[in-house]
This record gives sequence, C-alpha cells and structure tokens, in this order.
Amino acid sequence: MYNPVYPFSALIGQERLKRALILNAINPRIGGVLIRGEKGTAKSTAVRALGELLPEIRVVAGCPYSCDPDQPQSFCGQCRNRADGVQVRLRRIRVITLPLNATEDRVAGGIDFNLAVKTGLRSFQPGLLAKAHRGILYVDEVNLLDDHIVDIILDAAASGRNSVEREGVSSCHLSRFILVGTMNPEEGELRPQLLDRFGLCVEVVSEKDLEKRAALMHRREAYDRDPWGFIRRFQAENDNLTRQIVSARSSLKVVSFPDHLRRLVSEICTESNVAGHRADLVIEQAAKAAAALKGHPEVTVEDVQEVAPLALAHRKRETAPPPPPPKHEHNPERPPENPEGKQQEREEHEQPEQDQAHSEGPLETGEAPPSEGPGEAQGNSEERPQARGFDSADQFFDVGETFKVKKFASPKDRVFRRGSGRRSRTRVAQKQGRYVQSTINRNTGDVAFDATLRAAAPYQLKRKNGSGLAVILRPEDIREKIRERRIGNFVLFVVDASGSMGARGRMTASKGAIKSLLLDAYQKRDHVAMVSFRKDDAVLNLPPTASIELAAGLLKEMPVGGRTPLSAGLVKSYEVLRNYLVRDPTARPIVIFITDGKANVALGDKKPLEESLELAVRLAADERIRFIVVDTESQGLLHFGLACKLAGAMNAQYFKTEDLKADTLLNIAKENVS
Amino acid sequence: MSNRPVYPFVAIVGQEKMKLALILNIINPTLSGVLIRGEKGTAKSTAVRSLANILPAIEVVKDCPFQLLPDSAPDVCEGCSRQECGCKSNPPGPVETVHRGIRVVELPVGATEDRVVGTMDLEEALKKGEKRFEPGLLAAAHRGILYVDEVNLLEDHVVDILLDSAAMGVNTVEREGVSFSHPARFTLVGTMNPEEGELRPQLLDRFGLCVHIEGINDPEDRVAIMERRAAFDEDPEGFCEQWNEDSKSLAEKIEKAIALYPQVHLDRALLYEIASYCLDVGVDGHRGDIIILKTAKTMAAYNGRTEALKEDVNAAAELALPHRIRRQPLQNIMLDVGELRRQKQMHPEASA
Repeated sequence: MYNPVYPFSALIGQERLKRALILNAINPRIGGVLIRGEKGTAKSTAVRALGELLPEIRVVAGCPYSCDPDQPQSFCGQCRNRADGVQVRLRRIRVITLPLNATEDRVAGGIDFNLAVKTGLRSFQPGLLAKAHRGILYVDEVNLLDDHIVDIILDAAASGRNSVEREGVSSCHLSRFILVGTMNPEEGELRPQLLDRFGLCVEVVSEKDLEKRAALMHRREAYDRDPWGFIRRFQAENDNLTRQIVSARSSLKVVSFPDHLRRLVSEICTESNVAGHRADLVIEQAAKAAAALKGHPEVTVEDVQEVAPLALAHRKRETAPPPPPPKHEHNPERPPENPEGKQQEREEHEQPEQDQAHSEGPLETGEAPPSEGPGEAQGNSEERPQARGFDSADQFFDVGETFKVKKFASPKDRVFRRGSGRRSRTRVAQKQGRYVQSTINRNTGDVAFDATLRAAAPYQLKRKNGSGLAVILRPEDIREKIRERRIGNFVLFVVDASGSMGARGRMTASKGAIKSLLLDAYQKRDHVAMVSFRKDDAVLNLPPTASIELAAGLLKEMPVGGRTPLSAGLVKSYEVLRNYLVRDPTARPIVIFITDGKANVALGDKKPLEESLELAVRLAADERIRFIVVDTESQGLLHFGLACKLAGAMNAQYFKTEDLKADTLLNIAKENVS
Repeated sequence: MSNRPVYPFVAIVGQEKMKLALILNIINPTLSGVLIRGEKGTAKSTAVRSLANILPAIEVVKDCPFQLLPDSAPDVCEGCSRQECGCKSNPPGPVETVHRGIRVVELPVGATEDRVVGTMDLEEALKKGEKRFEPGLLAAAHRGILYVDEVNLLEDHVVDILLDSAAMGVNTVEREGVSFSHPARFTLVGTMNPEEGELRPQLLDRFGLCVHIEGINDPEDRVAIMERRAAFDEDPEGFCEQWNEDSKSLAEKIEKAIALYPQVHLDRALLYEIASYCLDVGVDGHRGDIIILKTAKTMAAYNGRTEALKEDVNAAAELALPHRIRRQPLQNIMLDVGELRRQKQMHPEASA
C-alpha cells in the first residue's frame, strides 16, 4: 500500500452510503451499489475506504481466478488439474479499480504475450474481470465509461462468467463481482441496463449541519497534513467494523426471511411501479444482511423498510400521472383526429406546467383556448420596461421550465471525421480518440503495437534467426488501431421570435424547451449557433461556438414581437450551415426549428407560406443536415398544423414542445420512496 | 529547456490574485491546483512557466521515472523494470537520491491517451520479448505541477483520465496489454479562455482555486509591462540577472512558509465561519470547505503568521469558491464571491 487511504470510520455523515457499502460487504448477492451525487461528497473516498475494511476469504493459492477451495465443482481448469490437491490461502476481498482508459484486452483478458514469445504457446492471460471474481469491481465516474467496455461488463454481470474469444485464445471463467460505481449526474446518465445491474443506489448530498461541516473540514485537513498518523488514530475503529462485518457474514446463512415479509416486499415493489423482479430479490438479500449486521436471527419489518429505499431509488418508475379532469367537461367537441391518447389531455392547454400550478382555480375548467389564459398573464408579468431601443411591441419572456430531452444523434456511419464531443459516435481518422479495437486491415498507419506483438508472439520460436531481437515482426503481423470517439454535433437553433409566439406564454414554454436542448447540447459537447427571425428579418444571434453559456444568456435576452419572416429564417440558416459545412465537410449538423410555422412575410412576390415551404425543400436537399421541427402551436380549436407541413417539406422529425421530454421510464433516485 | 531563460515570475506586473494562487499552491500542494480564467494575453501561461525559478526542491531517487522517494512505493518498484535508478541492482546497494526543483510538466492539448497515462514499451518488447511499462506524463508530473494550457479544449477522454488520477492520486493503467499502477499526485494548473466554452463541472471541481484575470487598465502598468517585456526579449539573461535577487527572496519566503505551515492554527470559531460561508453562497459538496480551510492556513503561513485570521478566510473564499458556487444551469461563473454572500445574507429568501 503506497497510497494512504482515508479511514472509513473517520467519514462524517453519509450514513446511507456507509450502510449500503457495508451491506454489500456482508452479502455479495445484493449486487453492488451505485453512488450518485454532487461533486465533493466523499463518494469515491468512501468506496476506497471500504477496501481497507473487507474481510478475508479462502482462495486457492496461486489461482489467478480466485477459485473457492470449498466449491471444487466450479474450479477453473488449472485448479482441477492440480494433482496434489489445492493449497488454501486467506486473502482480503479485493477492490479492483476499472480505470476509464481501460482497453478491451485488459478488461476481458487476452493472449499471454510473454509466454507466447518464449514457448510459442497460446495461453490466456486473465484480465480485470478474472481479478474481480469474488471481489468488488469499482468504476469511478461510471457514467463516463465507454460503451463497448460497458457491454463486456454487462455480459459478465448477467451470466456470472466471462467468455473470451479473441487473438486466437478461447477461454471462459467465472466472474462474479460486486459492481460499485460512482457518478455525478451532471455529466450525463447511465444506460438503463447498467443501472439495473446495481443492486442498491444511494443519492448523496452534502451535509447542511454546521457542526458536521466543521468537524469534516477539521478531519480532512488533519488527514492531509499527516495521513499515516491519522490512519493510525482510526485503526481501532476500523478493526471493530471489520469484526462486525466478519461476524455478520458468518451469521448471514442462518438469518431467515419470514414469508409474510415477502408479501410486504412485493407490495412495496408494486407500489413503486418497478420493472422486473430484481428489486424484490435485492431487498430480500439486503434485508438479510441488515439483520445479520444487527445480530438478529430473523429479518424484521424495520430491516425491510431500511433497505427498500436503497433498492428502489433507481428502479422506481414514474407512477401514472394524476388522473386529469373528465374529458367531457373539458372539451366535448374535440376534433376526433387528435392522435395521442393520454397526451391530449395535457396538450389542450397551452402550457401544462403552468396549468398545473393554477389547477386549483375555478376558471381552469373553462374552454381550452381562452384569450387571456394564465400563461399570458405570466408572460406579461415578466415583461421588462421598454428600454434599449426595442420598440413597444417587443416583449421579453422568462425561460420556462427545463426538462430532460429525448436522445437524438446523427446515425453512426463509416465516415471518418474529426472533432470531439459526446453526441454521435464516429470512427476517427486521426491518431486520436479512444483505441477500441485492432484490425488486420491497414490504411491509417496507426499501428496497434500491442495487438501486433500479440499476433506475432506465437510464431517467435519458429522465426528465431539470431538477429538479437527477441521478437521478429513480419508485415502480416501488423495490426492497426481502430479508434472511436463521440463527436459533438453542430446544433443550429432557429427560433421564431414573432408576435404569434408571444401569445399565451408560448414563448416561455419554447424558451424552456430551447434551454433544455441547450443543456443536452452541453452534456454532449455540441457546438451551437442560434438564428432568430421576427419582423422582416432573420439575424444570426450567436455564431457557432462551444460556449453554451453564451447561448443561454442570449436566450434570456431575446425579444419577441412582430411578424413572422419564416423564409428569411430559412435563408439565414442556410447561410450559416453552408459556411460551417465548407469549413468541416464531414460535419453532420442538426437544425432545430422552433416555430408555429405561421409565415406571413415573404422575401419575394410569392405567398409567404408557399415560399417558405419551397425554400424548406431546397434547404433539405443537403443530405448531411438533419432537421427537427418543434411545433409550438397549441392544440386548440383553431389548429393550422403549419409547422407539421414545414417538417414534411424538410423531411424533418416533428415534435410538439411536450413531446421533447425524454421518456420518464426510470425516474431516478428520489429520496422519498417509502 | 534550461538553456533558454524564462521570464521571471517576480517581474510580472499586476495580476496579484493569480500570483498569490500559484504561490499558495506551491506552499501547499494539497490545495490541488488552480484554474486561471481570463482573456488572451494576460500573462496566464507566462506566469505558470516562470514558476520554475521559484519552486522549492524535493528529494527524489536519481533517474526514477516515477519521481519517488526511496522505499516510498515498494509495489511500484517491484513492477518497474528500469535499471537506471539502482533499486534493482544486484546486490541492492544504497539508492542514490538527488535534490531538484519541482517540475512543471506541460500537457499539450493534443496529447494522446497513451502518452498521458503511459503505455507498453515497444523497444523492450521487441528486444527482449518482455512487456514493460513506459511511463507517461502523469508519472512525470508526480509530486510536481501538471500544466494544461487551454484546458477547456482538452479532449474529453483525456479529461476523464485526469479526473481519474486526480481523484485517487494513483494512475491505474489497464490498456494495450499493460497492467500497472503508480502514484500520480500532482498540482493541476490550467488556463482557459471562457469564451471558448466552459469546463465540465467534475473537472472544474478538481481545481482547488480559481482566479479570473483581466487585462490591466492602468496606463502606467501597461507601460511597465511593455518595457519589461522588451527588455527581456532583448537580453533574457541580463533581465533575469536583474530580477535574481527578488526571485531568491520570494523562493526563500516560500520555503519559510512551507516550514511554518504545520504550525498554523485556525480557531474553531473560524471553522464555523467557513462552513456558514459555504452554506450561505450555496456550494456543492465539501471540497469548498476543505479548500478554504487549507488556503486560509497557507495564507497565514505565507504571511509569516501561525494564526489564521478572519481576513485569511475571506480571502481564501474568494479564491476557492467562484467555480464551486451552485449555478443555475448554463449560468456564468460568479466573479465576486464576497458580494454574492452579502446579497444572499440581505435577501435570504432570494437564494432559496
């Protein structure tokens, strides 16, 4: 141990986090824990500290797969062939760190290079998944882990074994591990399958109590000044914890789970509307561990209640929305062609969020398109004093509520391109990006030395020629790296800022939608630009930039008012896109139109609407550009569906403002589960 | 590198906050770095590079690629197959150590992952048929300063690596057939121009301190900048000679502060002051508290005191909090922390 580790018992607060980790140390069948939370809340510190507490287990001495001497039926090939029986060794349960830069060959394992060169034998060299068997696999910032590594882990976690077929070796070994991950949700969410693999989930927040904060500072500073001395001071407490874990582990087998509690568990799970049955199983195992820790022979209701929130936090789905007021009262003569079932209840209002806020009011049961709806009132109340040379018709609207937006990305293709970001995955031609695989095809000159050497290794005995080199490479051995990375897209926002958008708080909702898209753009490291059109002209408010903050600031300041020069907006967007594509011909821009499509100013002599649709078709001719139209029109009595036509002309994806919201399938981690 | 003199740190005009933040980090490496935000041409990079002149010396094993002290990391030495340092010589003789200045290792924006974390040593593999770890920039930066110019333009996956090792103080390599880990505790110094995009929150939080700098508007200072720069360009050696005394006295002051730091005391009441400061302005996590505490004590040591005062705490908060204050999504980074606190104290309901 060359690196001091902050002692577990010196952690202040974060009781749920500590509890979840200890329960996992007692009962590996809980299946790990995901720690979500803001930065600087001892997430990683706690996990690393846990490594110092873990008890010892019996393993076969010298076995790279940590075979259990008490289970000869599941021995690995080597252990099975040990003629003189196996030697047993005690060692601490390991915490294996999976670094974010890990490559596939080290995670799953690959050919043993040293052995291959010396003996010409192809044998398997175990990777991290072998090391992590019967231990903890720990991924810091797990939400940043590369997709193909996640796939390998999911595969192993699901089957409990790791099968490797690569580089001419074939192997399969047990790999049962406790998956522990930490993440900061600000950096993006986890894939649902991976999320479900974590038995428990803890949401950590910082302490608000002054006393605790002060104590925490004091301890941390003392630790940083003299780590080893600090660790010694807490050694006794740490040892005590270890003893508790050891005794709980041994009594775990005899802890019983009464039948009536099974019903309680299933009721809790049904109530939380969880998908699948993993939650039930996890609660049972965790409750047993909790009982064992207390030294009880039987699980009690309290144990279940204690662990249920941890198991449900990340599995709980949004319960069905509160039943809307009966239809007939509301809008009896609704046009039957309204497509969506549940959604239409909400869309008949201009703004669902604000309506909910006002839902107590008696006026609310009135007709859907009131001329002075609550949205309008709010919009006006945010209006600023006229200033800065905008004319009196200009209005300013607040930015509405933000939400998580649906995924959208350019389709992955075989084009190699440049850039960086997180939205679309692409192969990259430069010698940058993450090295994901090697290939026998040669065209980039980006030699994958490790793969090349591994390819050449088995032939070295035959190739020996006295050159003094240990490894002789032939051209046919050469492998090249395939690198991949996500690139951010260029996202152009084209915002309708005409007077019609100001009506009934439409702009507030639209701004909320734009801001949500911007937030998404930030997480995906996109470049953004913004064009707005109103009165007679379209302007490029924001030239392409990576500074999303700039865009957000601009959004707030954007004035609304005047007529709708949609054609001008289209032309302006074309100019911006053309310039961008000249600079980077492989770019795949995404253009998001936020408009109701009610064009009423033309550039030429044609009718405004006709002209704009024609322009839209021409704009869409470039296949590199993807279009998304966000329709801000209300689903009222008067429904023009013009934005929908625009979307049709451009072959664009069409959304209503409300539709943009991402599926709330997995409602992440709300503390108040029980 | 050493043959071309660098512009002396002490000759930089103005930008006191930035200079202070850098000095504090030298005195106390556990402050974990500083982020310098500002427009172009404000001596950001010059300041970092010029640190070389005033950095204190540390003891390292001669030729050790991991900048270790003897016996400090037996695991690393076991896995390391370098011959130069003599750890592995047979019989194991006394290991030679040298005293040398702390290093500033520059991480170029275009650096590839394998150069940053290290990779398989190709030469060794071909000649001897053995896998050996070739250390990367993180190994070189251990116990030193890792400097990233334009840190906001750094590739995402390189940022991930930095986060990984900055958090643990260990660089774990599991790639390209190599499995190795070695200590990598460094002071992270980054410069950026916020117009070109913001940093990721997680990385932002790894910088202990954050300073925002602007061009200097005082005509007299501007003239001084021009004069000094011209003098330096004309005769670098002579210019450095001229500032040598000042450099030396600063270096001495820093060494004194390092010696003094362990004795600095901070009153318990001030701990509460720090905690309530952070709660008032709204900071995520506890790193802000801890950094303020350390910064205040370091500041006291730098000023030759053994007692940290309220002023130290306030000044420390100005350095430690700007990038930690909880922001509305997409809001800009707050510049004046003290002002914000006064505002929030006056209108507590507005902060809710």
